[in-house]
Amino acid sequence: MNDQNVSRRDFIKLTAVGLAVVAGARAITQADASAGVKGEHQWAMVIDQSNCTGCRYCTLACQARNDVNPDIEWNEVTDTGMMDGKMVYLPRPCMHCEHAPCVEVCPVGASYYRDDGIVMMDYDKCIGCRYCMIACPYEARSFNWEAFEGENPAVPEWGAPEVERRPRGVPEKCSFCYQRIDRGLSLGLIPGVDDEATPSCCVVCPTGARAFGDLNDPNSNVSQLLKKYPSYRLRENLGTGCRVHYLPVGVVPVRDVETEG
Amino acid sequence: MKTTIKTIRENILTPWGLWLALLGVILFSALIGGLMVFWKGLSITNLTDRVPWGLWISIDLSAIAVSAGAFSFCAGVYLFGLKRYEPIARTATFIGLIGYTMAMLSLLLDIGRPDRFWKALVYWNTHSLLWEVTMCVMLYLTVLVFESMPILASFEWFRKKYPRIAEKMEKVHHYAPVLAIIGLGLSSLHQSSLGAVYGVIKARPIWYKPEMAVLFMLSAIVGGLALTLLASMLSARLTSKAKINDALIERAAHFVGYLMIGYLYFRFWDWLAQTYTYEPGRTEAFEMLTKGTLSFNFWFGEMIFGALLPTFILLYRPMRLSPFWRMLALAMIVGGVVALRFDTNLVGLLTVISYLPGQATVSYTSYTPSLVEWVTGLGIIAYGLLAFSLGVKYLRVVDHRLTSKEHKSVDVNAMDAVRI
Repeated sequence: MNDQNVSRRDFIKLTAVGLAVVAGARAITQADASAGVKGEHQWAMVIDQSNCTGCRYCTLACQARNDVNPDIEWNEVTDTGMMDGKMVYLPRPCMHCEHAPCVEVCPVGASYYRDDGIVMMDYDKCIGCRYCMIACPYEARSFNWEAFEGENPAVPEWGAPEVERRPRGVPEKCSFCYQRIDRGLSLGLIPGVDDEATPSCCVVCPTGARAFGDLNDPNSNVSQLLKKYPSYRLRENLGTGCRVHYLPVGVVPVRDVETEG
Repeated sequence: MKTTIKTIRENILTPWGLWLALLGVILFSALIGGLMVFWKGLSITNLTDRVPWGLWISIDLSAIAVSAGAFSFCAGVYLFGLKRYEPIARTATFIGLIGYTMAMLSLLLDIGRPDRFWKALVYWNTHSLLWEVTMCVMLYLTVLVFESMPILASFEWFRKKYPRIAEKMEKVHHYAPVLAIIGLGLSSLHQSSLGAVYGVIKARPIWYKPEMAVLFMLSAIVGGLALTLLASMLSARLTSKAKINDALIERAAHFVGYLMIGYLYFRFWDWLAQTYTYEPGRTEAFEMLTKGTLSFNFWFGEMIFGALLPTFILLYRPMRLSPFWRMLALAMIVGGVVALRFDTNLVGLLTVISYLPGQATVSYTSYTPSLVEWVTGLGIIAYGLLAFSLGVKYLRVVDHRLTSKEHKSVDVNAMDAVRI
């Protein structure tokens, strides 16, 4: 080989190495970015299972405020079994994972992280491939197999819709009522404190079993609850870093609240 | 009247005419089914939130897998200098073009918003395996279109009507080695990534393993080579339009037999590793494969008829030399790869791991494709068969007498090679 000339073989080799380095660097930065940018607020939810009576008001309020098809539950409440003669319930909104499998797998980036930790869906970008539903460990996503037309049976009893209905052919999920948070913040309200700025499931809960707030604020009720009581997260072994924490039965004293009506 | 009946008898009541009529009926029903899917949406399928990927995705995966003959043969012929296999590479390329368009068709049916198909190319999430697969498949389909140009240019009618365009299209063959390099790169990427699409899903332990990518790549190569050889042999038996060199196919089939040993070795360790210790979700899913709903597919489809038996046939000379046994073995390998794709998709979805606290409780769900899924799925397969049949009849897709004129091998003095 001549010193001045790069042979074709070397050229191909160099090109291949160059491309590999660029691709590798890109992949590493992407991997770092997968946790999202940490913003001023880090919203989280704490669900107290001792006080959850399984009334499912949360599900209904959610369906009304987010105009959800009655066949779909963004906040599914499961009977997990009896303990000391009482049924234990587990309400399951979207976990808004710090390392969300749905965001990582979405080919078009229709699922994404907001700076405040909310895992959002861009329903206009989504092509409906359903890879996110396969990746989600919490079955938090429901697909719009058909268009939701006609009246929403949860409206007006449980509230008025605040967001647009999703079209046929895209999956949907809980958004921590981002519309209430954003509107509330712009009005100077504090999410988790002022009802207007708090997810509707937390507002409607008759026993106060759901708390919402900012983990960046050490004085917020979620920070305080997590400091005071032992808590757990769902399928923690997967390392998803859920922003929904549960206080197991028995750690919080049961409040005596009339749930009827 | 008499002449009409005569025309019908002569033109339609031939094996070729009946074959076209059969495919036509299937394609017509599939067209209606497809329009219904676009009009009514996916609610007319039996897909659910728990099993969101079903028959169509399995057809998509299988079509891509058995198209791998294209890149394998092109790499062999144009990069590794196995020039005598060039006529088979021609067949493989054409099958690849058909297979990838089949995959595109099934994806178009499957996605919830087919009108937004183009968004997959505009909005990039480079972290997503499915993004990588989409990109590679689109680019590779483009490569296949270029690679197929000399084949498409051999259509008599087209040659007569547009001789200059046909000539230009034939000249693309000149770039076959370059296209083979790009094709090899893109195929290695997305054939593996298709496995990794499943392999990165941590929530479903039966899938969550790095070897998913390797498994998909290896099985695609054997399946793709097997389908190319099978299609060549079958065409030569059914029509005089196809001419094969049986010795060439026999040698390639022998090679597939050796590759199958590698595949079996890999499958054996993959299988054995999963029997070790209890892992919630993975063990239950594995039991579904070995003892449960999918056990027939697994043992007979994937293992005994899909891998063990054909390996033996292809490596045992007296059986390999018999065209019947050889074709049967190749068909079984293709079936085995298709079974692997179906089982891989289903086993992970049908095993449901509860998110409730405590040790994961595992349950099984079920999925049976609906009529519209079957009709459209069969339609996609019928399209593939029709395209290949037309190719054999009009484009000399299977013709081992063809030798290309364009690029000759260049003689190099031994001294040149060592002059460093």
